[in-house]
Amino acid sequence: MTEKKPDIGKWVDEAALAIGLPIAPEYRANVILNVERSLAIAQPLLAVELDDDLTPAPVFRP
Amino acid sequence: MSDPLSKAATAAEIARAVSTGKVKATAVVDAALARIKAAEPTVNAFTDIVAERAKKRAAEIDAGRHIGPMSGVPFAVKSLFDIAGLPTRAGSKINADRPAAKRDGALVRKLEAAGAILIGGLNMGEYAYDFTGENAHYGPSRNPHDPTRMTGGSSGGSGAAVAAGEVPLALGSDTNGSIRVPSSLCGLFGLKPTYGRLSRAGSFPFVDAFDHLGPLARSTEDLALSFDAMQGWDPDDSACTDRIAEPTLSTLNDGIGGLRIAIAGDYFARGGEPEAFEAVATVAKALGATKTVVLPQAAAARAAAYVITAMEGGQLHLERLKSRPQDFDGDTRERLMAGNLLPGSWYVKAQRFRRHYRAQVLKLFEEVDIVLAPATPRSAPKLGQTMMTIDGVELAVRANLGVFTQPISFIGLPVVAVPTRKPGAMPIGVQVIAKPFDEAAALRVSAYLEKEGVCVSTPA
Repeated sequence: MTEKKPDIGKWVDEAALAIGLPIAPEYRANVILNVERSLAIAQPLLAVELDDDLTPAPVFRP
Repeated sequence: MSDPLSKAATAAEIARAVSTGKVKATAVVDAALARIKAAEPTVNAFTDIVAERAKKRAAEIDAGRHIGPMSGVPFAVKSLFDIAGLPTRAGSKINADRPAAKRDGALVRKLEAAGAILIGGLNMGEYAYDFTGENAHYGPSRNPHDPTRMTGGSSGGSGAAVAAGEVPLALGSDTNGSIRVPSSLCGLFGLKPTYGRLSRAGSFPFVDAFDHLGPLARSTEDLALSFDAMQGWDPDDSACTDRIAEPTLSTLNDGIGGLRIAIAGDYFARGGEPEAFEAVATVAKALGATKTVVLPQAAAARAAAYVITAMEGGQLHLERLKSRPQDFDGDTRERLMAGNLLPGSWYVKAQRFRRHYRAQVLKLFEEVDIVLAPATPRSAPKLGQTMMTIDGVELAVRANLGVFTQPISFIGLPVVAVPTRKPGAMPIGVQVIAKPFDEAAALRVSAYLEKEGVCVSTPA
């Protein structure tokens, strides 16, 4: 069974709309390319399994 | 010893000559300004030159004021450091419209308090989101060793100015490799200190979680001299350590006795051109290092560094991306836009993984004091080159020149990038990595390699 891949074009359009970021048509293809590239580069991180007791690295000191 | 007025003079040599009265600081500044005038058409390192300010400061030093361990040393800073009276460009067109900085950045003030003289602001990749040294607004900084090639970035002007011999010392910033990459491609010594060691107050940020500032020079002594002058707690940078300053100059020539030195294997032994691994082998042989260690999950660390950078950097610039998209460098704009669209879940996971990875790597440093790794996967690509082939795989230059530096700055370890160069070839660097706050050990190794003639930096 092949895993269903996200439609990056839709992802870019909807997420940009959600945060109110207009993306001009001449920029859109390259934004999509960069999201695709990020998705590929992020894979080794997304594949890691983390214990529940691992809290985020930065510590806030009030 | 070099003539203190020549391009080969190091910062330490100039300081000794000025402090003993062998040469006037005004003559040193005039010589530097003349070299800059001659070299700029080729290397394009500077975006601002503060000649009048530098001449005035030099005259004051010659009159007996501002005397310190760096008396009369001309230096320049990446354009993300505040320079009083100038807008802090950070390599952008947009920031050039901001009001002028009211005072110098913290590290500029510290170097000048030690007697050094600021000459100007340096070209850089826009907003530091860059490994190439190219810039659509100000033109690319060009590699002095071959002006058809990249300097590396984002501290590209810093690399070019020092490698061309315009100034002996420059400050840069390193978020994912931006000191170490241009040091490697321009054949320089570069110090990325421990995260939090040096104040970032009065500098334009990129990714707060990873932003470091540090020096690039042509000798280890100059790194130590300037690093010692810049240490110390600063309440204006929330990440700045309150540890007492730990001077490195006094132990610089202690040799490598007692240091356990290993070579990074696995991730750091693949994904680069043969020249990158030959450089590591050359350095390892000179140090007698034979043990190989594995930094576990380095590929995930690089991925996490990439995600945090894209998302923190993207968010920092979101309002400017909305209001002035046309004024960004095209090579920066769409990457910053994309960073704003990635899932928040990735960011949180990256920060959780960061704690895990840090613990694993610190455990490794119980067995070793120094780890050697390539600085870049290859020597300088051609200007304008967007793709490169590594191990038969076609990769984007911008995203991949930092594959070996990212997993190290991700957890803030101190690194000295040391230069190697084979006859007829372009330079390429090696990372000498130490445990947190042990810059002194990495600098000792660098000084030893320099003394042995294995790592030498000469101006183009």
